Amino acid sequence: MKLQRQGQDLDWITILLYLSLIFLGWLNIYAAVYSEDVLHGIFDLSTDSGKQLVFIGVSFLIIIGILTLDFKFYDSFAYLIYGLFIGFLIAVLVFGKEIAGSKSWFQIAGFGFQPSEFAKFATVLALAKFLGEGNRKLNDLKNQIRAFVLFLVPMVLTMFQGDWGTATVYCVLIIVLYREGISPLYILIGLLGIAIVVMTLLINQTFLIISIIVIILLLISINPKNMKRAAVIVLAGLVGLGVVRSVDFIMTEVLKPHQQNRIMSMVNPNIDPLGIGWNVTQSKIAIGSGGIFGKGFLEGTQTKFDFVPAQSTDFIFCTVGEEQGWLGSIILIILFSSLILRVISVAERQKSRFARSYGYGAASIIFFHFMVNIGMTIGLFPVIGIPLPFFSYGGSSLISFTLLLFTLLKLDSHRTQVLERL
Amino acid sequence: MSIKRSIVLRVRIAYLAMLLFAGSAIYQILNVQFRDGEKWKARGQEIGFKYQQVKATRGNIYSDNSSLLATSLPFYRVALDPSIADDQTFAKGLDSLATNLSKFFGDRPASYYKRSINNSRQAGRKYLLLNSRDINYQDKKLISTWPILREGQMKGGAIFEKIDKRFNPFSYLGFRTIGNIDEEQNRGLVGLEYSFNTQLAGKNGEALFQKIAGGSWKPAYSGTEIAPRHGWDIETTIDVNLQDVAESALLKALKEHNADYGSLVLMEVQTGEIKAISNLSKNPEGNYWERYNYAVASQGSTEPGSTFKLASMIALLEDSNISPNDTIDTGNGEYQFYNLTMKDHKPGGFGKITIQEVFEKSSNIGIAKLVTSHFGSNPEKFIRYIEKMGLTKPLGFQIIGEGYPYIKTPSDSTWTGVSLPWMSHGYELKLTPLHMLSLYNAVANNGKMIQPIIVKSVKNVDRTVEQYEARVINKSICSEKTLKTIKTMLEGVVERGTAQNISGGHYKIAGKTGTAKKLKNGRYVNEYYTSFAGYFPADKPKYSCIVVIDNPKRYRIYGSDVAAPVFKEIADKIYAVDLELHEPFTAQASMENQGFPLIRSGNGRELQKICDVLGVPYQSNPNVEWARTKIEDNVIRWSENDVDNIWAPNVEGMTLRDAIFLLENKGLNVKVNGFGRVTKQSIRPGLKFNRGDEILIELS
Repeated sequence: MKLQRQGQDLDWITILLYLSLIFLGWLNIYAAVYSEDVLHGIFDLSTDSGKQLVFIGVSFLIIIGILTLDFKFYDSFAYLIYGLFIGFLIAVLVFGKEIAGSKSWFQIAGFGFQPSEFAKFATVLALAKFLGEGNRKLNDLKNQIRAFVLFLVPMVLTMFQGDWGTATVYCVLIIVLYREGISPLYILIGLLGIAIVVMTLLINQTFLIISIIVIILLLISINPKNMKRAAVIVLAGLVGLGVVRSVDFIMTEVLKPHQQNRIMSMVNPNIDPLGIGWNVTQSKIAIGSGGIFGKGFLEGTQTKFDFVPAQSTDFIFCTVGEEQGWLGSIILIILFSSLILRVISVAERQKSRFARSYGYGAASIIFFHFMVNIGMTIGLFPVIGIPLPFFSYGGSSLISFTLLLFTLLKLDSHRTQVLERL
Repeated sequence: MSIKRSIVLRVRIAYLAMLLFAGSAIYQILNVQFRDGEKWKARGQEIGFKYQQVKATRGNIYSDNSSLLATSLPFYRVALDPSIADDQTFAKGLDSLATNLSKFFGDRPASYYKRSINNSRQAGRKYLLLNSRDINYQDKKLISTWPILREGQMKGGAIFEKIDKRFNPFSYLGFRTIGNIDEEQNRGLVGLEYSFNTQLAGKNGEALFQKIAGGSWKPAYSGTEIAPRHGWDIETTIDVNLQDVAESALLKALKEHNADYGSLVLMEVQTGEIKAISNLSKNPEGNYWERYNYAVASQGSTEPGSTFKLASMIALLEDSNISPNDTIDTGNGEYQFYNLTMKDHKPGGFGKITIQEVFEKSSNIGIAKLVTSHFGSNPEKFIRYIEKMGLTKPLGFQIIGEGYPYIKTPSDSTWTGVSLPWMSHGYELKLTPLHMLSLYNAVANNGKMIQPIIVKSVKNVDRTVEQYEARVINKSICSEKTLKTIKTMLEGVVERGTAQNISGGHYKIAGKTGTAKKLKNGRYVNEYYTSFAGYFPADKPKYSCIVVIDNPKRYRIYGSDVAAPVFKEIADKIYAVDLELHEPFTAQASMENQGFPLIRSGNGRELQKICDVLGVPYQSNPNVEWARTKIEDNVIRWSENDVDNIWAPNVEGMTLRDAIFLLENKGLNVKVNGFGRVTKQSIRPGLKFNRGDEILIELS
């Protein structure tokens, strides 16, 4: 009775997009691990595609669970869930298993469990709860700091695990704050910082420092009498110079060699196509050889020979590019864009600030994953090892994104029951 | 109002950012797939994959009864890609692996192996040769069970590179004729290995290899690889037993006479098949070994001396109606032809003798006078007879590098007045022993001259790919009448003439001796090239044979004393064992009477298959790799032939190939004697042995 009514309120467009993505993802995982020599069926549990099917099954169970729970549960228990996963993030540093340089896995009964995937969901929930509480004003510095702390804590903990890729995802939550009224200056400063960092890598440092000094002098000379303005400009300039100087230090001293390589090869993948730029080069070769219509399902050669690393997880998009071609890639991008735009519009129609912020959080996280993942496979971004939502192989990833999305749909289905308005 | 506008703006920016990225992603994919599509495609082919050779296994060389004369045994080079194993496997297995390696190779301490593997891993190397020693198949099986390596190539980084080593079971027998190879290149260098290289080598295959970071290659999956076509086997006409007999007889004579080299060819009269071919020459240390194929190749092509009188006599008999009983005066043993004096070997000369005696006693003057009186006015005619006997052109023998015959013609600038008389007794011309033998064989074969062959067939496992039969050079080199006369003369040589010393016994030998002075720096010196060519049994010839012994240095210098006894020894031995040459004996008791084939041990699966095909009853399956058999209650029982320990395995009852495979794989150095199945092994089964020990197995 209750479920039936809920069914009418569920956003079926989102669900349809979700189902298409996981189905296509599953087919492509099979293509990625497919080999003519060892013929395994798509259902074979020893292969990634077989396991992914199990994860899809688990996801469906979780969807039923989310829809069955009372919608107030998420609001009420947001901080508790957040605390629980922060606890997991700490625990994994102690008890976790190190896989490929990252200590981010619990090994339970043969299955890996990655708390950092779920922590994203918990953080979004907690941030939404925080913003929803008594209509906080985000131009208040105290509130700003509290909000930042909420996502900086899981971010730093994830960095400690050695999983820098997942850690960077939290940065995107600034979009939520932006939507809720924080000054766009923060985003501008952030983007400027990234621009300076990238330039440091690309351009001769001395030249860059001189340019910054020249810009400072020019800006001051426009209105030299305004001392306060001049002071701000000089301060900003000094910070910029500091960034320039520290980039070098961070590149050589702080980052691990493979991270340095990823950043350097992003700037110039041709440095060493077989060493540093290997991943991107191979990925581009795979996509580049696809053409308009692709080579056809299970026909990709680059894919078949396990050429591209992490073929079924981070680089799953190559499989699409190679086997389904440009057409397939466009369809996938359209599916993802539609999903994200749909999630944003769902968020916009929420009556409570909690639900809306949550919706924006979900949208921005999915967007960031989508952007960075596809961006890295086609050489727009450095190789940051994060999965393509709903599409990549992996239980933790699929289940946590399902959790993220369907919690929003649950909240959405009850939007009329919320009286609170902005 | 302004708040609302600000919010709408922010939402729009969010949508815009989303679309902006989607747009740029689509644009970039367009770039990658279309603008740079060709470049990436080319890159993919260029750096990603490469077809590399997969070596074909070289074919075997067999004797006429399928004994192995040369075979390839697989060996392996052990290497490791230290970067492959995951941290846990690596950390857990390293110590144990290092200890195992140290124990197995015994050359360096475990700490050395541990360090070098660890260092290579740290340095990110993709290939580390664990030891330069090649290991055999059994060891490879053992080593693949060690930690890290047992994870295989993809997960543990184990690399076993196969290398085939050529092995001649009858190490010295006919070594030069069989030849040897360059193992790296799988290319024959001399002998049959060289001449039949195309067939033996097979064709290397190709498989797709994938480049991995660091510049090394690993095999990749692909449906496109070309499997190597393994080399075909060649079946020779060599009879291992006769070869052994011939070789030891020749060796004995060479030692006895301290000769420079000796050469021997034994041929089956009707088929032209070479049953034994041996070439032994002395090395600086004074030992004889197979170094050059004098019987066939150009260095063996020399002035034959009196064996050539056969050709002269045939020409005479064909061209005139002289009778063996006609007489001729050979004088006092010295006769002047222009400025040169010809001598007979009997001091004082033979005086007036019959033509039969000229041949039997090998009178140079007699044959020279006869030839000059018949062909002196028309020497071309004499040469035409030589040509008819197939002596002017090379035989086209199967072994590459055959020596060219050198027969002068009157139109040659070197032709002089003494050319004809000197050619008549085997000077001023050159022939290889094999070529000379084919003439004697033609006489034995009722005038039909055939090309000798040494390779009967080329086989791909059981299927015959090519078959060779002796080509007929001349159906009839002379008339029936001449043939009959000349045969009598050849028999006379042994009965009454120069080779009287080898007469007697149960059968007759027909042949001719030869003793040629050697030409050194343009002058004939007192060094001799002795030979005996002939066939036996004279009344029903089965084999023809030529024996050549160069420069004997101990008192005896004549073909009759040096070469002929070798011929006799071989003929006697063959006569004694060859059942076809006797009245049939009563059939020997054989296993067949009991209904079981004579197999006592071998590869389990193969034995079972044989039993299945022959319908021999056996009990259950021999679920073991190497099995022994026991006959109980009219069925075969299998038992495991334990070969996996460090004790010498029991190879008795095995075929040669199985035995060699097993023993060599255990690191033993196998020497073989006889042919058939293994009856005896010098290291008894169950005894401990050291790697590299020699084991002699006797076959019968």
